[in-house]
Amino acid sequence: MKYILMMNTMRAGHDVPSWKQKDLQAHIAFMMNLNRDLQKAGEFVSAEGLSFPDQARQVRAGKDGMPITDGIFPESKEFLAGFWIVDVDSPERAYAIAARISAAPGPDGAPLNMPIEVRPVMSAPPADML
Amino acid sequence: MKYILLMSGTKAGTEHYHAWSQKDIQAHMDVLHKINKDLTDSGEFVATQGLSGPSEAKVVRGEKNGVPVTDGIFPESKEFLLGYWIVDVANADRAYAIAARIASAPGPGGVPTNMPIEVRRFASYEPQK
Repeated sequence: MKYILMMNTMRAGHDVPSWKQKDLQAHIAFMMNLNRDLQKAGEFVSAEGLSFPDQARQVRAGKDGMPITDGIFPESKEFLAGFWIVDVDSPERAYAIAARISAAPGPDGAPLNMPIEVRPVMSAPPADML
Repeated sequence: MKYILLMSGTKAGTEHYHAWSQKDIQAHMDVLHKINKDLTDSGEFVATQGLSGPSEAKVVRGEKNGVPVTDGIFPESKEFLLGYWIVDVANADRAYAIAARIASAPGPGGVPTNMPIEVRRFASYEPQK
């Protein structure tokens, strides 16, 4: 079963660039180690980090199909900071991986205790919808 | 440059989607499949995925001992990710054009859903060695 593990933050949570170099390195080493472990276990599908909210745009189509872009979001909006897709045997295993991500080290090595949203990824649409 | 196109909606919005007629769902899926096919033909397609509904979502934190603590209660206003596309395109404008095409996919009665699509670039940020 495939699950997506989403790390969401408020705009204010996107303060990573202000971390000390040492803290950043410890955080990234933790994530790389996690990805390696998932790869060894055959559970890794993909993982990506996203650029910061200042580069995010909301897009709708105008009457002529041309994109209308907007960069204004509510202050309360959660932004996706990054995600993992894992292929695991059970939801409990997905939750265990999410708990490990949640405990990733932040400034001075203290666990961030970030909430990680875990969702099953849908299988292909039913054949009669293709 | 890789971009992710995020289609999000509230819990109420996803329940509304489940009430669409079979014919409307099919017309919607046909357009999305055509978009995927066109992106594959142009070499811009990386991945697309639909997610299960909010009822199956959990938020997880790690306890001090590393044991997962799960919670399925979310604020009513929370936006849930319904699905996404990852595209590899020459510039941001091309990503916006694809997002606009997705936003025009038909809803009930063939009327475009005009869903807002959030467009985000993948981070290329690398720490210095």
